[in-house]
Amino acid sequence: MTSHESLAAMHGVKTISIVQNMLEQNDLAAEANRQRLRQHGILGVNLIAAPGAGKTSLISRLIATLQGQARLGVIEGDIAGTIDTQKVLAAGAADAVQINTGGNCHLEAGMIRRALDDLDLANLDIVLIENVGNLVCPTHWALGEQLKICLSSAAEGHDKPIKYPEIFAVSHAIVINKIDLIELVDFDRAFFYESVRALNPNAPIFELSCRNGEGVLAFGVWILDCLKQVRDQ
Amino acid sequence: MKGYNLEVGRAAPLTDAIFMHELSVMTAVLDAVEQHAQQVGARKVLAINLVVGERTSFVDDALLFCFDMLAEGRLPAGARLNIRRTPMRFHCASCASDYEPSGAHFRCPSCDRPGQITNDGRELLIESMEIET
Repeated sequence: MTSHESLAAMHGVKTISIVQNMLEQNDLAAEANRQRLRQHGILGVNLIAAPGAGKTSLISRLIATLQGQARLGVIEGDIAGTIDTQKVLAAGAADAVQINTGGNCHLEAGMIRRALDDLDLANLDIVLIENVGNLVCPTHWALGEQLKICLSSAAEGHDKPIKYPEIFAVSHAIVINKIDLIELVDFDRAFFYESVRALNPNAPIFELSCRNGEGVLAFGVWILDCLKQVRDQ
Repeated sequence: MKGYNLEVGRAAPLTDAIFMHELSVMTAVLDAVEQHAQQVGARKVLAINLVVGERTSFVDDALLFCFDMLAEGRLPAGARLNIRRTPMRFHCASCASDYEPSGAHFRCPSCDRPGQITNDGRELLIESMEIET
């Protein structure tokens, strides 16, 4: 023993190795959610974007596109209010639950567990989680989804992947909304794609417009394909 | 329409939403450290060693602030929080080496070709703690 170690031992000072993920509790809760969704044959989707990118619009468009092919339940995460839940119900969502976080900048697995209790899981094919508007914090909090989707918009510019690398790196698909505005805004497509591919070589990138519907069908088809894969497992 | 309001964490009043990200994770860290400390019969926690990667977007100052606030009255109170940071890195296949991005793009600083992100900087770990028995 060194003199430092013997001195420490005298005072009963010890170093205890822990090596535990700081988010382990959340990950365990997320895994339970994942199992639950799998048991029901439901595709869980976590939609993450900055405020105003078009999360609710995309969900509304998806509900319409998948009408008759898949029943969508929606979990709406907002700091306050029920506006988005009302919108998706009006758009034809089979079921919807609103979570108001009262200030928390992201949804966590425990919140989703409670929301799943309130959804009619036996009669749903897809559960879409609209996370709190934020490209940072939600990235790190697993909810139990199969698909994490990063939504950006042409109006937000092409350097989003540089500023928010993590969400682009870990998403299963990237969606660029408001593509109808591309001629009017400063959006360097080549730079955006190069940056995304440095972070995520394989995720499909969907360009669409929730406003005029352009490109939404292709995204809907991909979602249905993912649902089929979940059920074939 | 179903719905509910959630309490903001379990902490004392904290109105600054900027710290919410760190508040949630430090709540979990406190619980884990306290549990481990109790398991080994610790009388006092002297230090907690964390590894926080750049890709995780947690801010040191905010982690420290939240720790101090949450630890009050609990076994880990007063412990020194040591945070080891690890950077985000990309791999350049052409140069066969890793690099940290410049900040303006993800291209290799030597050959200017876009690389691929590595798994560096993803850590979010409670590595160890120093206790007094």
